[in-house]
Amino acid sequence: MKTSKKIMALALTGALAASSVSVVSVSAEPKKATIGVCFYQDTGKAPNATKAFLESLADTLNVEFKYGTFTQTDEAANLTKVQELIASGVDGIIGTMDLGTQSILSECEAAGIYYAGYLCDFDTSYTTAYDDVFGNSNFLGTVVDGHAPDDVNIGDQFFDSLIEYNERNADAPLTHVSMAVFPVWAFPAQTTAAEQFVADVEEYNKTAETPITVDPLDEEVDVLNFAPLDSTYFSKHPDTQAIMSFAAGTSFVYPTMVSAGVDSDIKLFTTGADGGEETNFGSAGTQTYQQIAFTGAESIVYPLVLMLNKINDTEFADMPEKAERISTELYIVNSDEDMELYVNSLYNTADAANAAYTPEDVLNMTAFGNPDATYAGLVEAVQTLTY
Amino acid sequence: MEKEKNKTASWLKGHVYDVAAYAGLVITIILFLIFSGDKLMYNATTVLQTVAPYAIISLGAVFVYSMGFMDVSVGQQVGVYAILYILISNKMGGTTAGVAVAFIVVLAIALACGAFNGAVAVWLGLPSIVTSLFLMFFFTGAQLLLMEGTGNTSISIQAKIKPMDRNQYTLMLIIAIAVVAVLVTYFFKYTKFGKYTKAIGANEIAAEQSGVNTTKWKVFAYMAFGVTVAIGAFIMLTRTGSAGKGTGTGFAMDVMICLILGGMPLSGGMKSKVSSALVGTFTYVLLSNDLTTMGVDLNMINFLKAVIFIIIVMITCRKRDGVLPR
Repeated sequence: MKTSKKIMALALTGALAASSVSVVSVSAEPKKATIGVCFYQDTGKAPNATKAFLESLADTLNVEFKYGTFTQTDEAANLTKVQELIASGVDGIIGTMDLGTQSILSECEAAGIYYAGYLCDFDTSYTTAYDDVFGNSNFLGTVVDGHAPDDVNIGDQFFDSLIEYNERNADAPLTHVSMAVFPVWAFPAQTTAAEQFVADVEEYNKTAETPITVDPLDEEVDVLNFAPLDSTYFSKHPDTQAIMSFAAGTSFVYPTMVSAGVDSDIKLFTTGADGGEETNFGSAGTQTYQQIAFTGAESIVYPLVLMLNKINDTEFADMPEKAERISTELYIVNSDEDMELYVNSLYNTADAANAAYTPEDVLNMTAFGNPDATYAGLVEAVQTLTY
Repeated sequence: MEKEKNKTASWLKGHVYDVAAYAGLVITIILFLIFSGDKLMYNATTVLQTVAPYAIISLGAVFVYSMGFMDVSVGQQVGVYAILYILISNKMGGTTAGVAVAFIVVLAIALACGAFNGAVAVWLGLPSIVTSLFLMFFFTGAQLLLMEGTGNTSISIQAKIKPMDRNQYTLMLIIAIAVVAVLVTYFFKYTKFGKYTKAIGANEIAAEQSGVNTTKWKVFAYMAFGVTVAIGAFIMLTRTGSAGKGTGTGFAMDVMICLILGGMPLSGGMKSKVSSALVGTFTYVLLSNDLTTMGVDLNMINFLKAVIFIIIVMITCRKRDGVLPR
């Protein structure tokens, strides 16, 4: 029930933002701008929804978007893609990968264009080259898909989902669970989240009538090196009733559960959503999925608005001196009611009519579109997408 | 008149692959000039930056491909060499001397790997692709282990290895490509080295019966290739200043595509040319650049690249008993 409120707030936020548009007049016609957007993969739920959302903003914000793909492995290939976009005349680039960022920023600096992040914590740059990247005036900041590594709460959210499930199924609660994560070098926040989840369960067990057992992380099978879950997972965790997959479970865990024939017996709580989960979600089908989570594509307004402000030679009065990384709340879908809302969401349908923000809302967030707009307001708009 | 016509037709028949390769390059250059607009100079320098490592490595690969062989470990070698350049030079305080030491170490490893690739394949009677597969797995593991040791996904070099001025950097790249191209052309065209590698590609048994020590020249070919891989990895590092777990991914395939686009026969032999490396590399990089500046849809870019590649392969493959190199 609690999470239903969370996801319904998405619609409310949009409505509230829209209502505020009517009282604020647009101060200036935006300059024509071209912005390159490089995703981490060509297609998929997040890129498709983001593209649809951005295209819906194009006319109102007077922006043309050009799309590209970054590799997850090759610095030189990403730099080449940035150079090609610069050559095609972009005024700024929004990227989803922290790889070769320093050389990319040098290139942006030389070309006099801006660079910002989306769905990426830029943790390597944050921890090893903070001044060079976050102190660079051409870098405008990033919005993380979920919480930044030093600001994690997804472990708490998994715990909440588990407890909510047990409350709904008091006659057959889940009392033994295991976990799955991506390697710590790639996604440090996931290991932190797993530790947070274990701590929450331990705290809960102190007073619980039916305590929950969590299998500790097994380096051999629980850490997924970007390969599907190994079938030996189930022999290593013979008593597990649910898998808490902080890694993308739809792609990496669920297929192995199906091939091992355990999808009817073991529940899956996961981050990520690739589409089609609704068939076996909650009380439907095999009831395997009990939680999915995703980041709102609307969060791209953070780098977009900051970039458009720069291009339009305007600035928020409360703009921080150095670029920041902003956490977002994940949409948690953990009940049949949530799933109904998810099915019709921008993320699932790639239909901008379902977006939380209209083009006018976004224009209203900019300094050139609304003289009263603030940086704090922009951050709030991103962080209140679910709450 | 009739004779003249026949002569032209006969020349065209004999040079259809060259004509196709050069026509591809000319078309991509024309598109480049049209769609770069007022960013022409900037775009030209970025193309050169992308071309440089591919061109240098492809030039070395000419020796291997002319024998009808290939090396699938190039990408992983590039990744490991780039990481080693960084680790060694950083360990030595990010000094120029550190970079020089790193280069010598990497060069030695590259030569050893080249020798291994060539020699083991001959001694064990294996197709060279099998030994390069072994090296690919070896270097994949080494790359992961080296990066695990750093605790990061990507590391940066401390030493200054690239001129700050863009024009100077461009000049540096042009000189690097030119020097390697001249050396490779000399050895490939004017020495026994090139003649024998082509002879091995044309007919290994005939070459052997003509007194050519095929084992020796195979080893030399792979070692020459190793040298260019070491140089190419360094040139690539000057661009990004960083390397990581995935650096070099896909390089082997890219080099193969560059050579094929440039008209290099997959089966090797007497029609192998050094120019294939340069023509193909420029065509490959310009093609990608053109499609982006033209605003071609992302999914369409990959599709078009695939179509162009398969057409070129079908035109240039002249091997009777198959399409893949040995």
